[in-house]
Amino acid sequence: MSGANPVPSPPEVVVLPKRLKAPDIVAVLAELRKRAGNGPVTLDFREVEEFDSAALAFLGHLQECQPGVSAANIPEALALAEAGFARRPDGCWPEKPAAAPSGSRFSRFLQSLADRFLARVRALGLFMSMLGDEVFHIAQFLKTRKGVYPGETWNQMFFMGYKSYPIVCVLLFLVGVTISITSVEQLRLFGADIYVADLIGYAMLLELVPLMTGVILAGKVGAAVTAELASMTVLEEVDALRTMGIVPARFLMVPRLIAITLVVPLLVVMADVAGIFGGIVVARISFGMRPATFLDQMLNTVDWSDFVWGLVKTVVFGWAVVVGAGFKGLTVGRSAEEVGRATTESVVLSITLVIVLDCLFAFVIY
Amino acid sequence: MDIITARDLSVGYGTEEVLRRVSFTVPEGLITAVVGISGSGKSTLLKTLAGLLPPLGGGFEFAGRPIDYGSEASLGYLYERIGVLYQDGALLNALSLYENVALPVRMHYPELPEGVVRDMVHAGLAQVEMADSAEKLPAELSGGMRKRGALARALVLSPEVVFCDEPSSGLDPITSHLLDDLLLRLKEGFKMTLVVVTHELRSIERVADRVLLLGDGGLRFAGDYADLAASDDDFIRTFFLRKDQHDDA
Repeated sequence: MSGANPVPSPPEVVVLPKRLKAPDIVAVLAELRKRAGNGPVTLDFREVEEFDSAALAFLGHLQECQPGVSAANIPEALALAEAGFARRPDGCWPEKPAAAPSGSRFSRFLQSLADRFLARVRALGLFMSMLGDEVFHIAQFLKTRKGVYPGETWNQMFFMGYKSYPIVCVLLFLVGVTISITSVEQLRLFGADIYVADLIGYAMLLELVPLMTGVILAGKVGAAVTAELASMTVLEEVDALRTMGIVPARFLMVPRLIAITLVVPLLVVMADVAGIFGGIVVARISFGMRPATFLDQMLNTVDWSDFVWGLVKTVVFGWAVVVGAGFKGLTVGRSAEEVGRATTESVVLSITLVIVLDCLFAFVIY
Repeated sequence: MDIITARDLSVGYGTEEVLRRVSFTVPEGLITAVVGISGSGKSTLLKTLAGLLPPLGGGFEFAGRPIDYGSEASLGYLYERIGVLYQDGALLNALSLYENVALPVRMHYPELPEGVVRDMVHAGLAQVEMADSAEKLPAELSGGMRKRGALARALVLSPEVVFCDEPSSGLDPITSHLLDDLLLRLKEGFKMTLVVVTHELRSIERVADRVLLLGDGGLRFAGDYADLAASDDDFIRTFFLRKDQHDDA
């Protein structure tokens, strides 16, 4: 065979339509893909009269990055518009692949784990620092009576207490009923129905009332506190307080913490009564036990220390909820969507704190 | 005399500098306009000067005293001497206008008799022609009224400097004009120093004695408004030419 050079075949010409907009570009690209490998192609723009930014971007892409495809007869209007079209610095697409991450997959996994751990530790540090600050602010407020808006504590007590009593009482009554029904069935097997009173008293005072009240406060009070403080942060109200020389963490948090501390004991008493009343109702209906007998039997088992422990636990849970909610509300970003996210995170954080603290209390009490 | 002196001040968020190593002064008793296109760092600079955002480098003095962001006492010194009018007013929504204006007085001077507080609040609201709306909640006020109410709150403790973040934004030309009148009255009647962040050319022309023009991550001009208007600098001419066209449109 002789070594003669092959004669290049003339490029195929594709005449583009009068209207060259995004959907038409898609069709042209499909056509080019079909013709790929069949030699050079010339796109003839002579008929193009209408075009959009997709056409301008396509033209740039064609000239710079599409091998084997050339443009011809570009109308003046299109050329002028293309010259003024602000293209990405790199010009080419598809996107350049991202730089390959350094290190092995395992080391990157470890790195990401470490980063997340450090972020959690940092958040925990901020939370603990806020908790410490709040204790200091409350002590300072009790000493100086300054830095809190007059009447705000009452407003918060009204919201956290008065508005929470109905839901707490109803739910704890239902919990009392449910626990009694479940327990009576089991105790009856051993002829020990009467001990349902002991069980209800003990479970309600020490465990269910504190835990359920904490969870209800997390959902009702925690979410409201976070939503309010986060909105204030986004709307620059917190900044406004700061530049007025008012410490937001004192002005906004102290009334809420004092309110929760004062309201929780009343809430606990009512919840205890509601829960035990639920047990009394079930005991009366299911095996005719008189309320006085139920109470006598219960008081043989539980004493004041159980009630006090329940109270202490609930106050601690209330503080955890309010500080957690305040932490999420005051550390929110600057966009409205973060208010919703902070509120959700606040409820999750508060419930987690309540359950973790409950577990710690179990070790202390028992 | 200069009430604020910034030296090599860099401001921004996190590690990202919005303005790098700017030095300028704010003279006492005048209105200084901070001007620049969106994203040039006007509001960020204002936040730093108002004690809300620590500088990333350099620093500034307020009334001859360096402001140390690490010291509560230093920030307290600054907060006692400034008032801030935020872009949307930032009135506390849970409180009435009267309570909003009374807030700084009650917080700083709880021992003042309520009668004195009432008179101070009334005087503040009268100054911005809002005395009739004292009992309204912020949600019941128009945008312009909220800003005037917020200005009353910023003024109630007679600060040495009032920072105004885009006071005209979102307002119709008439309300914007009235607000400018109010700023001029504060300067002329009370010898107050005002630092006004704005990009409204008409407002700058009417109220500004001095201008700080920001651009390209730095300070492009600092001086009297008259010098700015006469400047041959391309950036300045382009900025104001565009502004002229925009305003005329």
